[in-house]
Amino acid sequence: MTRPPSRRDPVGTACRVAAIALLVVFLVFTAYLGYTASQVVNIDFLREASSGVAVSAGIGPALAGTIWLLLLTAVLALPIGIGTAIYLEEYAPRTRVTAVIESVAANLAGIPSVIYGIVGLALFVRALGMGPSILAGGCTLAVLALPVVIVSSRTAIRGVPEGLRLAAYGLGATRWQVVRNQILPAAGPGILAGCCAAFTRTAGAAAPLLVLGTATFMSFAPQTPAHPLTSLPTQIFAWATRSQEEFAALAAGAALLLLLLLLAMNLVGALVVRRLNGASR
Amino acid sequence: MNRPAAPADAPVLTAERLGVRFGRHIALRDVSLSIPRGRIVSIIGPSGCGKTTLLRCFSRMNELVSGARTSGTVHFAGMDLYGPDIDPVEVRRRIGMVFQKTTPFPKSVFDNIAFGPRASGFAGDLQGLVEEALTDAGLWSEVADDLDTPALELSAGQKQRLCIARTLALKPDVLLLDEPTSALDPEATARIESIIRALSPRYTIVIATYNRWQAARLSDMTAFLDRGELLEYGLTETLFTNPREARTESYLTGRTQ
Repeated sequence: MTRPPSRRDPVGTACRVAAIALLVVFLVFTAYLGYTASQVVNIDFLREASSGVAVSAGIGPALAGTIWLLLLTAVLALPIGIGTAIYLEEYAPRTRVTAVIESVAANLAGIPSVIYGIVGLALFVRALGMGPSILAGGCTLAVLALPVVIVSSRTAIRGVPEGLRLAAYGLGATRWQVVRNQILPAAGPGILAGCCAAFTRTAGAAAPLLVLGTATFMSFAPQTPAHPLTSLPTQIFAWATRSQEEFAALAAGAALLLLLLLLAMNLVGALVVRRLNGASR
Repeated sequence: MNRPAAPADAPVLTAERLGVRFGRHIALRDVSLSIPRGRIVSIIGPSGCGKTTLLRCFSRMNELVSGARTSGTVHFAGMDLYGPDIDPVEVRRRIGMVFQKTTPFPKSVFDNIAFGPRASGFAGDLQGLVEEALTDAGLWSEVADDLDTPALELSAGQKQRLCIARTLALKPDVLLLDEPTSALDPEATARIESIIRALSPRYTIVIATYNRWQAARLSDMTAFLDRGELLEYGLTETLFTNPREARTESYLTGRTQ
C-alpha cells in the first residue's frame, strides 16, 4: 500500500524532501554538464579524434575504446563470474576451500579500483606482455567486475525458492538440468541486474586504466584489442586536467556522453529484466 | 534398470536399520520396514518425528542437504538403493516424490508435466503422456482447453494435483507423497484422497501425514514414528484399533505423553 505521507508523519516528510533534493541535484548537475558541453558537442565531436587544438578535438577513439572495453569485460567477466557463482551455490561441497573462495570474492568487491590497476599493470601489461593495450585494460576491468558479478549472481541464485530445486531433483533431473531449466531462468533477472551494476562500475572507472597507462591523444579509432588503451573516463580526466577553458567544455561533453551510455545500458538491462520477470509468471 | 515382475504384496521397498543424521542431529534411527507392492502405506507421527526424512530416504533426496549422512540399506526391487553404482537421478525417476510445499514450475501446465519425461530423454508421444498423467491426477478436464495456462495461475488444489501429475508422468513404480493435503481445504483434500485411492493398486504409494484420520481413511498399512524411531508398523486397522505400544495409543487418542 502506498499513500502520501500525512502532515503528522515527520519521517515521511523528511524522506520526501530528501528524494526531491536528490532529483534537483541530479537535474542541476546534468543541466550544467549539458550547458557546458553545448559549446563543443556536435556530430563531429562524436567522430573526430582527440586533438591538442580544442576546436577540432573529438571523442571518437575514446568512445570506441570504451565500447571495446565493455565488450571484453562482458566476454571475460560474465562467464567466469556467473560460472563461479553457480559452482559455489549449486556444486561446491561446503568445505573450507569454498568458504575461502566465498569470502575472497565478497571482499574483493570492496577494494578500491585503483588497486586493480596496479595488479593489472604488473600482471597483464608487464608479466603477460600485453602492454598498455585495450586487451590489458579489458582484462583489468574484467577482474574489477568479477567480484560484483559473483556476489550479485550468488544472491540471485540463493533467492531461488528451495522448493523449485527439490521439485526438479525429485523429478529425476540431473544437477545441470536443474541449473539450466530452473535456477538460471528464476535467477536470471537478478543476475542481469547485478551484471548491469558491475558494468556501470567498470565503464566509468578511470583510475585503474590511468595506472595501466592510457593514450590520451589518439588520432584514429581502435580497430583491435591490441590497440593502445583509450577510453571515455580517461579522456575526460585528460581534458579536465588542462587549464584552458575550451577543454573543460570538451570534458563536460565527454562526461555527458558517458552518462548517456551508462543510462542507455541500464535502461536496456531494466527492460530485459522486466521482460524476463514477465515471462516467468 | 528393468521393471521387475513381482506378485502383489511382495515388498517393493525394504529398509533395514536405516539411520539418517544431519550433522549432529539424528533424524532417523534404526528403522526397518517393508513397503508391499501396490498398497498404500502411511507414515504418521508428531511433527519432527522423521516422517519426511524417511520418505526422502526412499528417493535419495536427503543427500541434497549438506551434512546429511545415511546409514543402513534400502532395497528396491532387489537392489541396494545406496549401492556404489546406483545413480540417484535414476532412483528418483523410478521412485517419484511429491513434496509438502506445492511448487509448480513458473511455466505452462504442459511444460510442468513434461519436465520429468524431457529430463530423462523421453522420445515417445509427449502429448499423450501429459494427457494421461493429468487424467490420472484428476486435472485433465479442468485444463484440457488450455495447456499453455501458466501453472502458477491454478488454484491451490489444482496445483497439488499438477504436482502429482508431474510425478506420474515419470511412470514411477512408487509414489511418495509428503503431506499431500496439509495446505488444502476439506473439499480439495477429499479430492486428492479419492485420486490417491484411484491410483492404488497401480502404484505403490507411501504417504507421510500429520493427519492420523487421513492415514486411517486411506492406507492399508500404517507406520508410527516417534523421535526418529519406528515404534509400530502394521495393518492400519490393527494399529488404530489395537495398538501395541502405549505411545502409539496416546498419539492416536490425542492424549499428552
